[in-house]
Amino acid sequence: MEAIQQIIKSTKAYYCLECGKCTSVCPISRREPAYSPRLTVERAMWGEGEELLTDALLWSCLTCQHCSERCPSDVYYAEFIRDLRALARGAGEQGLCSHGEAIQTWMRMMASPDLKQNRLKWLDEDLKVCTLQQALRQAQEGPQDTANSDIVYFVGCLPYYDVLFTKIGAQGVEIAQSAVRVLNRLGIEPIILENERCCGHDLLWEGDVTNFRKLAELNVAMLQATGAKRIITACPECYRTLSVDYPEYVGSLGMEVVHISQLLAERLVGSWKLEVGSWKKVTYQDPCRLGRFMGVYEEPRQVISALGLELVEMNHSGKNALCCGTNCWTNCGAINKQIQVDRLREARATGAELLVTACAKCQIHFKCALDDARLDQEIGIEIRDLVTLVDAALAQEEGGSKA
Amino acid sequence: MAETEPRVVVFTCNWSAYGALETAGSQRLAYPANVRPIRVICLGRLHPGLILKAFELGADGVLLLGCPPGECYYEFGNERAEELFKETRAIAHLLGIEDERLMLDWVGAGEGEAFVQKVTEFYRQATCWRDL
Ligand code: SF4
Ligand code: SF4
Repeated sequence: MEAIQQIIKSTKAYYCLECGKCTSVCPISRREPAYSPRLTVERAMWGEGEELLTDALLWSCLTCQHCSERCPSDVYYAEFIRDLRALARGAGEQGLCSHGEAIQTWMRMMASPDLKQNRLKWLDEDLKVCTLQQALRQAQEGPQDTANSDIVYFVGCLPYYDVLFTKIGAQGVEIAQSAVRVLNRLGIEPIILENERCCGHDLLWEGDVTNFRKLAELNVAMLQATGAKRIITACPECYRTLSVDYPEYVGSLGMEVVHISQLLAERLVGSWKLEVGSWKKVTYQDPCRLGRFMGVYEEPRQVISALGLELVEMNHSGKNALCCGTNCWTNCGAINKQIQVDRLREARATGAELLVTACAKCQIHFKCALDDARLDQEIGIEIRDLVTLVDAALAQEEGGSKA
Repeated sequence: MAETEPRVVVFTCNWSAYGALETAGSQRLAYPANVRPIRVICLGRLHPGLILKAFELGADGVLLLGCPPGECYYEFGNERAEELFKETRAIAHLLGIEDERLMLDWVGAGEGEAFVQKVTEFYRQATCWRDL
């Protein structure tokens, strides 16, 4: 099949040495012996590509890039899977979705250009933001009196996740509220789009390129209309997607995209020494999109130390960090739960009192694993998002008691 | 869209609303042809994903019809239904879908007339949203 040959080429799968390093680090392979990235690459090379497209294992990969990090030949395995999934979908495969496909469904519904969302209810009165109308005026008439409104805060799906996952204790819009409050403290009143769409990350990595493009085009048009220069996001997936995939699939945004940890590292470190109340020792989960995909390892750690917290690393960290166990809401089952539990055991073993996450989804997946009462003694640990910690610390500094 | 008639999906519990639908049938009571009942074994078996899917595929309204309070065939299925109804409404609200377009109601197994009356009224309202 021509298309498969093309994928082998573009992801450099033909460089594969059959060394099996990928399979030896793959968290799925560890729990599901039938799944092997090495064998998958080999099968594509042997001309069994078409069979791969109908194999249920195609949907098992977490696209966490742990394998590529180890691959001596630089095979882009995650992209290899992503593109095979797109082919499979094109051939009528449905893929595997968790949560009754609710999440993918709302993402696809957002691809409609006429959608009028009610997604800004979380914007409490104390949060200072600039609406699109103000931004448009600014773009036409030059700077207005609002501070720094050449910065967009791209919220992502937090208001939606809030509905489904706060019942398991995950922080949803709380992360967005913290992000805006922290930006305000830095003198930034960000532009927020009332009809922002999902960035499309999950649809892309699940092979639904058609709807990904629609979402991307709608977002690019809205973002460019603001005339802003910088986009800040607190979600590693939005960060990766806007900065790498939008240019590749729909064209450049012409704007700088920053993960909030980078901004905080730049502005916090060295200038403020903040104390967060009850925790002393913490550990940190590198999100795969922020770490292995975008190479942002240091900044979140700098922010953690700026908060006066002692960081103790897990057995696997940085480039070698273990995935939180699920990606793009595909195929969550016993194996994924096992990976989450394994990771939480590592977190517990550090002796940390708190696990800091920088991705809302890592937090959701871990909290979901924690929901298992039988394991609470073994894996129970408090989990908070980095931005909410910074927010709590700043509030404390102001004399409040937010922590 | 060329189609002018609204499209309404009614999820019916096997043990109550679907029974009511069959009763209505045996009594030769009619309801609008664009009402599409979907039988599920229990409303508690639904999922926000399934309900959203109906909207994605172009439903103007979705009505969930289950067992009266305290009469669930599986004891707590209708409580589940209530939870997932609230969750789905919250997501639908974010997506700009008006609350009235997703409703939860109940009907007993033998109540053919009540079934027809409820779905017809819901359908009539759906006609109004269409005209908006
Ligand atoms: S690590 Fe790379 S070279 Fe080795 S088997 Fe896997 S894909 Fe092939
Ligand atoms: S991307 Fe992650 S889950 Fe997929 S094969 Fe590589 S290591 Fe395994």
